[in-house]
Parts: sequence; structure tokens; C-alpha cells
Amino acid sequence: MPETILVVDDDLDILELLKMNLEPEGYTVRTASDGDGAVQSACTEPPDLILLDVMMPHKNGLQVIEELKNIDETKNIPVILVTARGQTDDKVLGLETGADDYITKPFDLREVTARVEAVLGRTRPIKYINPLKRAMGEGFSEAGLQQLAGHLEAAAAIQKKLLPDQAPSLDGFDIANLIQSSTSVSGDFYDFIPLRETQIGIVLGDVKGNGIPAALLMVMIRTALRLLCHDEPTPAAILKRINDLVARDTEADLFATMIYGILDTEANTFTYANGGHCYPFHYNSRTGIDVLKTGGMLIGAFEEATFTYGACHFDPGDIIVFYTDGITETEAAEDTTSDTSTHWEQDTSALFYGGERLANCLSENTALAPSALCEAILTDLAQFSGSTQTNDDRALIVIKRDI
Amino acid sequence: MNFETTIGEENISILHVVGKILGNASDAFRKAMELQLQTGHDKLVVDLTEVPLIDSSALGAIVTSLKGYQRSGGKLVLLKPQKAVQEVLEVTQLATVIEIYDTEEAARDAFM
Repeated sequence: MPETILVVDDDLDILELLKMNLEPEGYTVRTASDGDGAVQSACTEPPDLILLDVMMPHKNGLQVIEELKNIDETKNIPVILVTARGQTDDKVLGLETGADDYITKPFDLREVTARVEAVLGRTRPIKYINPLKRAMGEGFSEAGLQQLAGHLEAAAAIQKKLLPDQAPSLDGFDIANLIQSSTSVSGDFYDFIPLRETQIGIVLGDVKGNGIPAALLMVMIRTALRLLCHDEPTPAAILKRINDLVARDTEADLFATMIYGILDTEANTFTYANGGHCYPFHYNSRTGIDVLKTGGMLIGAFEEATFTYGACHFDPGDIIVFYTDGITETEAAEDTTSDTSTHWEQDTSALFYGGERLANCLSENTALAPSALCEAILTDLAQFSGSTQTNDDRALIVIKRDI
Repeated sequence: MNFETTIGEENISILHVVGKILGNASDAFRKAMELQLQTGHDKLVVDLTEVPLIDSSALGAIVTSLKGYQRSGGKLVLLKPQKAVQEVLEVTQLATVIEIYDTEEAARDAFM
């Protein structure tokens, strides 16, 4: 997931310039044109870094820092101050107030990028501290939490390497995938495994539970799958083997949901087995959207679980969408979390994005290529939730047969 | 989320939950289920009548507790999950390993 930078300056030209310079580097850039806007923006959705002009009317950059340092959610956000040449007092004051670095105007754009990257590299583990505190209670020292945050950052980096960046290119098919992790290590995972020249194994899964144990389980499942997929003949047999392995070796409250299937680009078929995972959607131009409902028990909870397998045929232009529940469980923009006790009868479809809306989004965008379809779904999610951020991991795989 | 537990006839406990069970609330939910077992009440009805939605962590809590009750020779059943909850139980096929009842009487009879 791209890191977000909040750029704050009362000079709109500078805002635009910095935005144009930072976005191609892969950052998501938000802007605010005054101090109050900056504080509000940072509190609503804490960015990964703030580039903050010092000289602003009403509330200057130093006051902004002071305010942010007093709020739990924002106090650890790294800040780079942008000062005019010669304002040495500001620099000293700024660093004393808690800024992480400063840049002097007029600045060299390459310097801005370099400083942003340096500060982010140094402070990346810090973003784990607040979630860790929430998860572990207040009994841990700041130093202990920082060490743990460092370990988490390292684990997250290893985990990212295990997820393929790009779907393989196949004759007659186009595949796109997308993953967005929330702040901690990801529970969602996917993999593409070449089996034969015309066959590829595709898995999308979601390890339930949190943090490092969940990440380790994901690594275990991924490794087992890579080893087993060449031996076992059917997706159902593979899920059974993985289930037994996980059920025997792990605690009861660690489990996963996953779909594993084989795409055959010669027969134009997808055969799959589903271990308790959200049902995928299959779009066909004649019959519309169908839910692939061959199901099975979630993986790793019960040794006695059994799995069946389903199959579907790809006509030209057909699409299959796999997703994790981080997509369908995305909450609506309004604050619906308060006092649910009196509203329990209300229609839950308004509170959560849900499978129906995802199916609608698919049906409206069937002409798009898979990668554009992924983007369309993300845009629809952002519209629904009023935010581009996510509290849960999200993953999507879209497979489309060429027309 | 709120809940209260009543222990009634035949030593059957009923855990009545009100509200969505999401995120951190699942911990409290799991502890409430396990507390009954720890205090020797190994017959539990989890009343989901007023639970509009659960997430995967709540599901984990149910799986963990269910296995705990099974291990100790007790029993945990669900009462009247709403549509969205029922769907989750079906997709994950937990509905095939956990007994689900529509009325309190039927749930109580399950322990006879």
C-alpha cells in the first residue's frame, strides 16, 4: 500500500509542485492549505509523513506540530518542516518541538524526495506502535514496543517478498491482482504457481488472527501449497492436506479461509476448492453474474473437515473476481459504530459494502481490463467508505478471458 | 456490543449478545463464552437474536470456544442468527459443525 504524505502550505503553487513531484515516486499525496486543515486532515486519516510549511497565517507550522504531539493518533507522525532561508530560529525551534528534519526554501525537488525517503525509512516502524499499544495494553514500555515494532517491520518486509508483484501473463487470459495491507503485517495473501505450460495454480486467502502468528501461518500455508500443488491431483485434495497440517499444528483460534484453483488456458476452465472463503463472482456475457458457491470448511479449525471441488468454464470475455472480506466488510462513511444496541434491526447492507454492491460494480464494468476493473472497485469502495484507507487487509484477483 | 449471561434450568447458560461483534469486542465475547466453561457450566446457548453482524475475529472466538466445549464434553449451540450472520456461518461451513436453533425451547432441548 502506498505511503501517504500530507503536504501543508498556504502557497497553492508549492502544494501543486510538491504533489506533482512526489506522486510519481509512488506516494499518495494529500494537501492542506492552512494549519487547521492540516490538523484536521492528520487526525481524520493519519498520514505516514507531513511536509509542513512554517510560515502560514493564523496557525503556523510550529503550532501545528505542538497540537499534533498532544494527540495520541498523530503524535508519532514524522514531520519535515519547510522553512524560508535564514530562519535559523525556526529550525531550532522546530527540531525542539519535535520535527524530524527540515528543508529550506527555495528547495531542490530532488532534495525533498531524498529527505522524505530518509525520514520515512527511519520512522517506518513507528507506525506500528499505536496499533501495538492498543493490542497489548499499556503495560509495555515504549522501548519494548519500539523493539517489537522493528520486528514487525522486518516481518512485513519478508512477507511482502513472498507475494508476487505481478500476475503472470498467459495466452488468452489477463489477470490482475491487488493487495492493500492495514498497518500491521498482512493476513491476506495470494500466489500464482505455474503447474504446466497451460495450467496455473491460483490462490487467494485470508489468515484470521493478528500480527506475527497470523503472518507465520500465512507463510506456512503458502509454502505447503507450493510443495503440495505438484503432488496432489485436485484442489480439494490440496486443501484437505493443508487443513490437516494446520489443524494439527496450530492453536484453535488461528485459521484461514482460502480458495485454490487451477486455471487451464487450453480447456478454458477453472477448477477450484473453497475453504470457507467468500464466494467468488463469475461474469458471463449471456448469463450475467453467477456466484461460485462450491464451498468448504474454513482451513485449520477442524481436522475432520472435507472439501469438494467446483469447476466453471470461461467463454470469451468471461470474468472471475476473487476477493477477501476486507473488501465486503468495508464500513460505510457515516459513523455507524456508536450505540448499535438500539439499531440492531436495521438493514446491515447499508452499513457494509457487501457482496451485492461488489457484484453491481462488476456488472457495470465488465468491459474493462482486469487492472482497470480492480481500480474501479477501489474507487467504488472509497466512495462508499469516504476514505482510501483501510482498517483491514484487502485483496482482489481478477481473471478475464480475452474476447 | 453488550451481553449478559443467565444460568437457568438444567444448568444451561444463555449468553445473550446485543449489537455487532467486531474487532476488539470479540475478545470480550470469547471470554464470556469461556468463563461459563471455566466455572463449570458446560452447556451454553449463544443467543444471537440481536446481533446484526459478526466479523472474522468473532468467528474465531466461536470456533475456539466451540472446540473448548467439545474437548471438555460440554456443548455450545447458537440461537437464531440473523441473515448476515447466518451467511457467514454458511460460507465458512461452521453451520455444519455447530448446532443452530430457531427457538430457545429447541436450543434447550438440544441438551436433553
